[in-house]
Amino acid sequence: MTYLVLAYAFAVAVLGGYLVWSLRRLRELERRQL
Amino acid sequence: MNRYEKAAGAAVALMLIAGAAIFFYAPTDWLQGPVQRIFYLHVSSAIAAFGSFAVVLVGGVIYLRNASPVADRLARAGALVGVVFTTVTLVMGMLWAKKVWGAFWVWDARLTSTLVLWIIYAGYLLVRRLADPGRQAARFAAVVGIFGFIDVPVVYFSVSWWATQHPGPVIINDALPPQMLATFLFTMACTAVLAGVMIAIRYRIEALLDERERVFEPANVIVAREPQTAP
Amino acid sequence: MNPLRVALAVARKDLRSEWRTRELVPALAQFIILALLIGNFGFQIDSRNAASIAPGILWLALVFAGLVAFGRTFTAEREQASLEAMLMTPASPVAIFAGKAIAASALLVVCEAVMLPALSLFFGTPLSGGVAAAVLLATVGMASLGCLFAAIVARVRARELLLPLLTLPLWIPFIIAGGQAVQSAMGQGGNYGGAISLLIDFDILFVVLTSLAARFVLDE
Repeated sequence: MTYLVLAYAFAVAVLGGYLVWSLRRLRELERRQL
Repeated sequence: MNRYEKAAGAAVALMLIAGAAIFFYAPTDWLQGPVQRIFYLHVSSAIAAFGSFAVVLVGGVIYLRNASPVADRLARAGALVGVVFTTVTLVMGMLWAKKVWGAFWVWDARLTSTLVLWIIYAGYLLVRRLADPGRQAARFAAVVGIFGFIDVPVVYFSVSWWATQHPGPVIINDALPPQMLATFLFTMACTAVLAGVMIAIRYRIEALLDERERVFEPANVIVAREPQTAP
Repeated sequence: MNPLRVALAVARKDLRSEWRTRELVPALAQFIILALLIGNFGFQIDSRNAASIAPGILWLALVFAGLVAFGRTFTAEREQASLEAMLMTPASPVAIFAGKAIAASALLVVCEAVMLPALSLFFGTPLSGGVAAAVLLATVGMASLGCLFAAIVARVRARELLLPLLTLPLWIPFIIAGGQAVQSAMGQGGNYGGAISLLIDFDILFVVLTSLAARFVLDE
């Protein structure tokens, strides 16, 4: 049971974290363009 | 909120719905119990990863043919997103293996070739980072990406050939009851959308990074040029 | 210009240059002996386990020696300049690449000629044509891949770190099939014929692919 939770927690952390990080990177780069 | 953020929001919403399906709609596997639910995202991630690496392959081939910067940027985006999804696949797989097989790792064909896949594309990202940016780096990376993509089925074949010489652990049964199949297909579709959004965002980031480098270039050239002296 | 003659001319040039300096082969031979020695300590070799561990040590030593041998095909300063000069001639890049791969393989084969008797001496394993054939076949495929990636990393920072990272994953099929062949030739069971035919298949596949890729990597 814990393995199930751990697995999905990891996936959410990595996928969600990557998505958030890349969106912030995008914002930062677009701001610098102006 | 720019359009990338809107797309990301939509993708996340889809993933949450998929999550609900995984935990509340899909039936519990009578053999493995709740831990079997790892299957849905684990396999979807693997497919998303392969799809991303296929983007790297196509981008690389197109780049070698006509040096299109779009193709190269797409390849870069695909590689990074692919590595992210491969990481998810490997870790979810290891946790599942520990519960079901009693070990975090076994050297069967699928796990070994997935690990090799991860290493190859991590190498791709390193080559890009370490090579001087430009045509050469793009070319080299294209070759790495193409060989990497070909190597994985070869590794898979080698290991499964080898594994049949020395019998290995139980191979996962592929027959799925309809509710599980439906959940899986839905999760896979949502994950594919998420991967697509991630690649699009990364493509835009790479495009901006490329532009930024060219923006600095004229200034460097002016600074570096020596004053002309009469002979 | 006949590509085969170009390739052989390039190979001859590289081999002659190595003969003059005689630096790579002695160093590699020494490295291989040391690797066997370390294998003995690391694996706690005794007369019972020697035969089953020997194939593994053979491939480990071969892989690391191979990385060094192929890694050097494109790195020397003189090499870069002479390579650019060669590329300006009408000779095909694939022929030049093939020549360099042939020379590097020849050097590695010399080291293998040292390694196999040493392995047999230290670990008591039979020294047979079967073992030699497996090693030689694997060398062909490993050389083509090793030299291709050596050409790629030659102009990249941290090339010593990057070469193993890029090359080893692609060498895995050769190590698997080669390991199986050597193990079976040393009497540990397994399918020798199957392994050898796999090696040949991989050789053909990767020699063709690297030949196609060579012009993109060497062309500048």
